Amino acid sequence: MSDKEPRASLLVLGASFLFFPLVLCGLALALYGHVTNGAIIRFANSLLTSYTIASFLLLFSLFVYGDKRKRPIAPLVGMLGAALVGVMVSFMFLSQGDLLMEANGSIRAQALSNIIRFSTTLIAVFISALLVGGISFASLMNSPTKQHIFSEEE
Amino acid sequence: MEETVLAFFFFWVPGFITVMGALMFLFTKSSGTSRAGQILVGVGLLAILLAPWTIPFSPSSSFGHFIGSIVGPTALIAVGIYNLSFSGNVPIGRLSASERRSGIIMIMLGVIWFEGMHWWILTPTYPNEVNGYWFIFWSTTLLVSTGLATGAIMLTRQVGVNRIQEQRLLTVVLVMLVSLVLLGFAFDGPNVDAKQFAHEFWLAGADVFGMLVGFSLAILMFAFVIAFYESQLPEPSRLPAPTKDELTVAAEIIAAHTDGGSLDE
Repeated sequence: MSDKEPRASLLVLGASFLFFPLVLCGLALALYGHVTNGAIIRFANSLLTSYTIASFLLLFSLFVYGDKRKRPIAPLVGMLGAALVGVMVSFMFLSQGDLLMEANGSIRAQALSNIIRFSTTLIAVFISALLVGGISFASLMNSPTKQHIFSEEE
Repeated sequence: MEETVLAFFFFWVPGFITVMGALMFLFTKSSGTSRAGQILVGVGLLAILLAPWTIPFSPSSSFGHFIGSIVGPTALIAVGIYNLSFSGNVPIGRLSASERRSGIIMIMLGVIWFEGMHWWILTPTYPNEVNGYWFIFWSTTLLVSTGLATGAIMLTRQVGVNRIQEQRLLTVVLVMLVSLVLLGFAFDGPNVDAKQFAHEFWLAGADVFGMLVGFSLAILMFAFVIAFYESQLPEPSRLPAPTKDELTVAAEIIAAHTDGGSLDE
């Protein structure tokens, strides 16, 4: 890590992940004016779907946590409640007419469409990580062997 | 049988089985359960891949078609990276130079295959138009990859020492990715309109940022539930302080094990 300021270094690192995606989105907006149509609805649907699915996955992980804590019921109930809140909020917003509805005929169709789109995005993120992480890892493994730092004095 | 019931049994049940299988594989220590999880993932994925034939009337079947379309290039890239990585400076089980070359060729073929979907006739089309899930996938992959590449360059600059080769390679990857996005914004492909690509790119940004916020909220809620539960647990019972006699005995035992003893013995 840089010697200057750890927090500043972390901020620069975090900003670097967002820099090009934001610049390219801005460029798309500059080139074609109406590309933002439906973006807010997609953001809201993605947020609600990912919150709900992640809550259920974390609920499953609580079973592993329970193995080390005499299987308590309270955290399971708490996390189940958090996940159900996500389900209820999603259906509540989807039932408000065109607020979060896209080109789907019913609330159920929209909810199922959200889940499939979430899976598609997740697959894309995994493949991106595979590509960039894999190339970095392969480069590290193929770099020339470093000399030992504490080599024996002759 | 009703179409929705068929879609439930031939798409959603396999999808649920795949997720459960993956969780069993990841979260259990038992090798039997882990093996069962792998089998469930395989069976579920196969059923999803067969969706265009089992439930061709359902909109969900286009997801099965999309998965089938990207299996080939993804497998090529994954196996290529494996071959390339483990033919380097690996002390045990190092792969041969020919596997290194085949790894490089596989990665290039995988990337060209994906590019052929945008710029050539390989675009996944189902049944008569470009598969909408491919649009989401491709724009999200390019968007996230540019972010990850920039982040990885900064990470190697801040954490790594003498990692010039990695930085150069990642910069080449970043330039290539940004060029692909810019070309996509500027020119129409045989099946992909530039304006539509720009629109999908924006929507991919909305999807990814929505996902980040949603995951963060779920993790915060999880941490809150665990912290609240742990704070409600009763304090563990404390033992009474040792008496003078017990302290004397303890001191004798410690002295017997630390003192070297007298020469008279």
